Amino acid sequence: MIEKIDELVNEGLLKEAGIIKPNRKLYEFNHERIREIFKQLLERLGEKGFYLATIVGTDMLKDKKIRLDYYVVVLPEEITIVLRTYVDRDNPEINSILDLIPAALAPECEIYDLLGVVFKGNPALRRPFFVPEELVEKGIYPLRKDARV
Amino acid sequence: MGKSKILSLILRNLIRKPATIQYPREKPWVESDFRGRQYSDLQKCIGCGLCRIECPADAIVMKKIPDEYEVPKKNARRLFPVIDYMKCVYCYRCVTVCPVRAFITTNYFELADPQHITSEELSLSTLRKKAGGEASK
Amino acid sequence: MQGCRAVAIDKVIEVPYALEIPVGPQHPALHEPLLLKAYADGEEVIKVEVHTGYNHRGIEKLAEKNSFYRDIFIVSRVCGICNGVHANCYVRAVEQILGIEPSPRAKYLRVLAMELERIHSHMLINAVMAEIIGFDSLFMNIMRDREYIMKSKEIVTGNRVSADYMIFGGVRRDLNSEKVDKLKKLLDRVIPRIKYYKKLFMEDETILKRLVDVGVVKPSEATLYGLLGPAARASGIKIDVRASDKYDAYGEIPFNVIVRNECDAWARMMVRWDEALESAEMVKYILDHLPQDEKAVPDERRLPRRFPPGEAYARVEAPRGELIYYVMSDGKPMPYRVKIRTPSVHNILNTAKFYIGYSIADLPVILTSWDPCISCMERLTIIDLKTGERRKVPMKELAGGGKKWVNPRYSL
Repeated sequence: MIEKIDELVNEGLLKEAGIIKPNRKLYEFNHERIREIFKQLLERLGEKGFYLATIVGTDMLKDKKIRLDYYVVVLPEEITIVLRTYVDRDNPEINSILDLIPAALAPECEIYDLLGVVFKGNPALRRPFFVPEELVEKGIYPLRKDARV
Repeated sequence: MGKSKILSLILRNLIRKPATIQYPREKPWVESDFRGRQYSDLQKCIGCGLCRIECPADAIVMKKIPDEYEVPKKNARRLFPVIDYMKCVYCYRCVTVCPVRAFITTNYFELADPQHITSEELSLSTLRKKAGGEASK
Repeated sequence: MQGCRAVAIDKVIEVPYALEIPVGPQHPALHEPLLLKAYADGEEVIKVEVHTGYNHRGIEKLAEKNSFYRDIFIVSRVCGICNGVHANCYVRAVEQILGIEPSPRAKYLRVLAMELERIHSHMLINAVMAEIIGFDSLFMNIMRDREYIMKSKEIVTGNRVSADYMIFGGVRRDLNSEKVDKLKKLLDRVIPRIKYYKKLFMEDETILKRLVDVGVVKPSEATLYGLLGPAARASGIKIDVRASDKYDAYGEIPFNVIVRNECDAWARMMVRWDEALESAEMVKYILDHLPQDEKAVPDERRLPRRFPPGEAYARVEAPRGELIYYVMSDGKPMPYRVKIRTPSVHNILNTAKFYIGYSIADLPVILTSWDPCISCMERLTIIDLKTGERRKVPMKELAGGGKKWVNPRYSL
């Protein structure tokens, strides 16, 4: 099934960008096309063909970006691939894929609460999720590098 | 079918002696290398403080050795690590990272002990008092 | 003197159609703080919201503020039951960054510690399941036999629960032949017991009546909702990180990936029993085939102090499923980012849908069948499946309830 990913690369949706140790292929994409990509994945791999392992959000303070890594495990070989995108740090917004893949609920909620990335179209986003009330009032996102907690 | 099986097990358990250990009348048997209470041997300690830096629970503070004790020359700063046993997670990182292997490990597991909340007393007991220390008082 | 006065009815008390039942955070069926807000129509659960956040400790931020070495012990405190796999996953991620590899003997010993952990974790959740369905004598018996495994863990790692067994480049203590003999004896005692309990779970009417056809998860749902570990394998999805990533010594030790197709709570528990047996066989194999010559325990005083910049993404098959650590280093003594994704995050938070249509008494059964570990989950909070609108239903319709039907209007 992994060759289906290469098709997406050929169509220009994804761009190869090296590997993450050990041996996880890294693809970059434009954050505006996220729904398109996951729709394609659902179409080509099928509902049973992959699962979303997690989304890792990292604050890249120097580049003024927030990096989002979507880790997708392609079945049945269980190959992990990484779909990486960047959103603007001052205005972090990306489309939600919750309605396509319900498994995105937990990571999207977590990243919204910790890093402040808004997933447009996710009805479950709410603060405070687990961050203490006083931090929410101050508008602090704890995992941002300039946050003092 | 399943019912009779578990019934016979329960009946057998009825006549068996209890599986639980009657602590504190009866002590559980722990391995000789169980990670129990540890303290530093001040004959070996050089007071470098690496254990304090590496402790994941921040349970170690470096304290000055009181004046009435004889301290080996290598510990020039007269510092020694005091482990707060209430904070310690018994990972033994201090034991393994110590450059002079100064920690004494025991398999003592009964840690709810008002006598030894920190390792201060145990560590100092490894040192001798100065001969004239008592007389000058 | 106010007599009886006829009052014109101007208000109607609306009876909410759904009864809201909080299950937890302190509840006899749950051993950990978690709130399931169940909405029930009579006996039938129509909606469940999972509320967590009672246990948040902010470990990811804490890990960013401590050195790489201190983090080994911090991440093994994420979860008590599976502390070994947490430490292993983190250690392997950092080893990738450092570019060092443990010796074969150390790899075998790591697998040994992790498999012992898997056995006792699976025995624990099966015991808890027995307790929740009211079968306390079985609970007591399983817990008694679990002590053998705890003892084995003590022999291997030096502590019953917190192993603290992993270090970059190896393990922290070695086995000698005396210990191997002890372990073999303990194992010979515990394997027949596991077989006995497995048989009991297959045959006992009480267990079958409570578990079979409860909490059914279709295979396609299992992947869509991202279920992991035994929960996915019981739905016929063959995922096992041990088999696909072949980390540590898993490439050399023979084992089977257990898959079942029944898709219900019973299948999930049976997968756990079979895996416990499989793990016991693996432990036996390891004890017989332990590589003899290499040095498994590195000198912790001589391990590298400098960490090159880089990133690594390690996966490990924890007893509850795929556990993920993403570690990023920027060359400083502290990691730039540590991301922990535990299997329980998916298995608890994403499964609110699967309670719907079952009775209230089934709710703890289904919850337990995911093997929930709240301390692992530790960071997230609220699920809202659909907008929280509550429908008002006339009394007449309420009185007609109690029958086992699912109104398509209310199913989500």
